[in-house]
Amino acid sequence: MKPVYIAGAGMTKFGRSEWSLMELASNASLAALRHAGLGKIPVDSVVVANMGAARVNRQTALGSALVDQLALYPAMAEAVENGPASGASAFKVGCQAIASGMADVVLVTGVERMRVVNGLEGTDFVASLSQPEVEYIYGVTLPSLAGMFARLFMDRFGVERRHLAMIAIKNHENATKNPYAHIQLAVTMEGILTAPEAVVNNPPIATPLHMFDCCPVSDGAASIVLVSEEVVGKLGGPKVRVAGIGQATDTHAVHEREDPTDLKAVRIASEKAFSMAGLTPQDVDVAELHDAFTILEIAESEAAGFFGRGEAHKAIERGETKLDGKLPINPSGGLKAKGHPVGATGVAQLVELAWQLRGDADERQVKNAKIAYACNFGGFGNNVVATVLRREEK
Amino acid sequence: MSDKVYGAKCTSCGTVNYPARAVCRNCRSETFEPIEVGGEGKLLTYTDVYALAIDYETRYLRLAIVELDNGIRVTGQLLDDDPKLGKRVRSTIGVVRKPGEVSIMGLQFVPA
Repeated sequence: MKPVYIAGAGMTKFGRSEWSLMELASNASLAALRHAGLGKIPVDSVVVANMGAARVNRQTALGSALVDQLALYPAMAEAVENGPASGASAFKVGCQAIASGMADVVLVTGVERMRVVNGLEGTDFVASLSQPEVEYIYGVTLPSLAGMFARLFMDRFGVERRHLAMIAIKNHENATKNPYAHIQLAVTMEGILTAPEAVVNNPPIATPLHMFDCCPVSDGAASIVLVSEEVVGKLGGPKVRVAGIGQATDTHAVHEREDPTDLKAVRIASEKAFSMAGLTPQDVDVAELHDAFTILEIAESEAAGFFGRGEAHKAIERGETKLDGKLPINPSGGLKAKGHPVGATGVAQLVELAWQLRGDADERQVKNAKIAYACNFGGFGNNVVATVLRREEK
Repeated sequence: MSDKVYGAKCTSCGTVNYPARAVCRNCRSETFEPIEVGGEGKLLTYTDVYALAIDYETRYLRLAIVELDNGIRVTGQLLDDDPKLGKRVRSTIGVVRKPGEVSIMGLQFVPA
């Protein structure tokens, strides 16, 4: 396999957007292309990540549409739909094109514009990824799967609601330092858990999870320019190499898993990614995890190998995952506060990590970050893509 | 509209696949016989979900995963005002979703 590098990364602000689907995708792409500074080097291929446009925006064939917007013809183009893991899946497809020698420059853009539909429709479009005959028909939504997972996980490992609140507080705090974040509002333990008015501020969404345990519904786009070794040599700037990618699947219905608290696909995908990179979880300086629900940040950090089973909430209590801690997790604010435009999320995680490794993360910069890890969690853990990035010294 | 819920029992290794699938997840055999899913079991986990999908007009739904006494696990709706992890429950069949005029029947659990 040929080495693959990230030459540029950009995104739109996440939140409610007035921009159309294609305006979002174009603006993120242009930001990444400018960041890469390709000059006259052509883009060989465009990969768009998206989950719901066919349903909520009534638009399909997004790869071709983006090529047209950016006038990149005759570049190759396609769209990748892999539920909430669409972003990292598209990134993987882009890396494969360069690793195989089929392309030297690939633009990977994730986009979702889901605030155009009402809450019920929006929740339903995401719920349509659940198993149709044994989950979806009962009214299963993603928050409900997370609620059932959380109750079991918390009971088994002694995780309390205050631990979940600590994740929310940390990620909201990080997001105040991220101009691209959907919600730039610091929250306190009193405000969301212990004060009497917390029951009003923080209503239940899927018990034991409350509003501040769940990501917002966002519009947004994120984009990365991938290049070959030959091209990266022609460009200036720091070299960020895609050191490893791992992907794994699990049963569609959550109830069929031997241990429903075990995120097996996260474990296997992470092991594969670290093995490809020749690194271990202990080498990681900064991580972006898929905290669509606060409980997932805890469970994924264990399954990825950063902490032992049942240990992550204790590390959070000790502040180890804060921006200035031993292993900063979700410096961007995570899905919790940065927002979760579903198809854009996996790309946005890698945008943040590329910025971190290049030293471009401003106020939320993790000092001297060299190795980064991302977990993009699709379905309810039935399709997971893990990525390890590494800054190469010249 | 069916008043029974079925899984697929693998004719070679006996594993119940629920949902039914084309290939047995245990032994990769492709032949199955239908087996009715339901009966008594214990509550593995549950949630009161307020973030509902279309087709529901209620304020929240109580959903659960139940481990049946024969080891099969199922997802369903929980009709119990006092749920607790590990509590004994039994299945009934009722309307679980109504997209338009259609009534979809499925598993509901009540205290055993």
